[in-house]
Amino acid sequence: MKPEICLSCEEVERYLGEEEERVHALRGVSLEIETGSVHAVVGPSGCGKSTLLYVLGLLDSPDGGRVAIESEPVLHLTDDELAQKRSKLIGFIFQFHFLMEDFTAEENVMIPMRKLGQLSDEQMRDRAAELLDAVGLGDKLRRQSRHLSGGEQQRVAIARALANDPRVILADEPTGNLDTANSERAFDLLQNLVHERGKALLLATHNPAIAEACDWIHEMKDGHIIDSQLRPTRG
Amino acid sequence: MTPSLYIALRFLTHRKRSLLLSLSGVVFGVAIFICTQAQTQGFSSYFINSTIGSNGALVVRSRFRPRYEPLMVSAKHSDGAVGRRLYFQGVSNPNEVMRVSRQFSNVVSCSPVLRGNVSARAAFETATVDLYGIDPALHAQSTDILHQLIAGKFDDFRNNTSSVMIGSRLAENLQAGIGDTVQLLAPNGEYWRFTIAAIARAGICSIDTTRVYAHARVAQALLQQPSGASMIIYKLRDPDRAPALAEHFETLFQHGATSWQDREESTLQLFLTLRMSVAITVSLIILLAGFGIFNVLTMSVLAKVKEIAILRSMGYRRMDISAIFLWQGALIAAAGSLFGCLLGALMTWGVSHIPIRLRGLLYTNYFLVTWDWRHYAFATLLAILAVFIASYVPARRAAELAPVVTIRGSR
Repeated sequence: MKPEICLSCEEVERYLGEEEERVHALRGVSLEIETGSVHAVVGPSGCGKSTLLYVLGLLDSPDGGRVAIESEPVLHLTDDELAQKRSKLIGFIFQFHFLMEDFTAEENVMIPMRKLGQLSDEQMRDRAAELLDAVGLGDKLRRQSRHLSGGEQQRVAIARALANDPRVILADEPTGNLDTANSERAFDLLQNLVHERGKALLLATHNPAIAEACDWIHEMKDGHIIDSQLRPTRG
Repeated sequence: MTPSLYIALRFLTHRKRSLLLSLSGVVFGVAIFICTQAQTQGFSSYFINSTIGSNGALVVRSRFRPRYEPLMVSAKHSDGAVGRRLYFQGVSNPNEVMRVSRQFSNVVSCSPVLRGNVSARAAFETATVDLYGIDPALHAQSTDILHQLIAGKFDDFRNNTSSVMIGSRLAENLQAGIGDTVQLLAPNGEYWRFTIAAIARAGICSIDTTRVYAHARVAQALLQQPSGASMIIYKLRDPDRAPALAEHFETLFQHGATSWQDREESTLQLFLTLRMSVAITVSLIILLAGFGIFNVLTMSVLAKVKEIAILRSMGYRRMDISAIFLWQGALIAAAGSLFGCLLGALMTWGVSHIPIRLRGLLYTNYFLVTWDWRHYAFATLLAILAVFIASYVPARRAAELAPVVTIRGSR
């Protein structure tokens, strides 16, 4: 049975900057991400990895091409409708975790749930506790995020990305700021989640070890995907 | 609680110094606005109450000759100027005018007054006085004279036709007290002797330094006037409607009629100018508070660009982001107005107990204040408006931030 495509793009073009500084960041990129798979995008800095993630995550609009979530084209949607899609279907993890520093770990994880508005306050607390426990922070629920270490903050960001049980997780160098042990721990967590709960993960990384552990590796250069490899472990 | 309100509350409570700064501006602005309005309106209301209480809300004076419209059409270039009225001194048939007047629902009571200027002498002091010949019973119904008495008894005056009531400042000037004799000079050069039965204080200098009340018939004989009344003064249920009634009475009775608003126009305009001036000055404080809030929220937006970007990536819409900052403004406005109103009431109460010896235009020993809910409503409205404008720009700016630019810039 062919796996379901949950996120795809076709011939995506994206220019960044204006006039003389204009850069052709994505040049006809096409990609399909199926449920239950982990995709790594690798390549040198400035090759367009992050731009691809933002376009696929509906944070940035491409200048050409098509983007579809669960086979539904999304580029014609309004800003509010795109926000709704992001809230329901996509979880973001950034290299610089961007936690709300005045909030506790628990409150940070509850922020996306508050927006979605499907759970009661108590249910949100329970789910936040469950997710933070899963990333090894069950004992630091009430700690303000500014008082957490870098690795702990990134784990809170991972828990937050999973808060609304998204179909797709997009991670832009999620382990870029972590030491080796924390990197492996964070990646293992995401990988398990994808395989066990049928999510899809697309991550941009410079870390060869993490890329090697993914189901797919897409190599980018100058705005193109020059090579896509299905890893033997998957096969 | 909406997510935006929740986040706004958290942002606010975690920036206590900024919150206190913003809040104190609104609190003091609202409080000072309320307090100054209470004072300026307090003096104004005191003057209005005193003048209506002493001189009536409406006065019908001399009869005028009816002016008939010409039957011929005026020349094309004529300016159509209205000719001046020809007045006859005194009220013609005052009893009939009063009988008809009483049919009007707005009229509570009315009283005829025969008025004239005479010279008064007591001991070795003399003064020019404004003699009011009154019917004591009717005058008591139509004015606040009973409440204005500070010495003597009204009944002593009513039961003794050779007695007078005089204004408090006049009594001081003549160095005369209750039971003393005052002499009024008749036009024929003869001095008439009266006993001072009561002393009244209207609170308005011009009345208290000149007013002498005598019985109408005695005043008529003293002044040697054929007319029974120079004017009729009215007490109205709704003094604010006096101008319309005055206009109606002029047409009906063919007598000049003046409302208290027209009579005291210059003084009222002075009070109004003062109130406006104070209101504008104090509004500047609230406006400055608004600038403070604008700065605090703008700094907050700049400090929170990363949080805004991440909120957008989590599905928060532009309007949710702007709502976070508008809520912060709304919470500051609500709390600031509430505490401002409480502080304003406290300040107004405090000011009303500050001793002040005013003996000029008005007579008072304390600051005069008015307790009016509209001051609180207007101050709150002003604060809400200022804070909304102050928070709108940062809120809009926050909503327009492109999350990708922030996230890229943080790399």
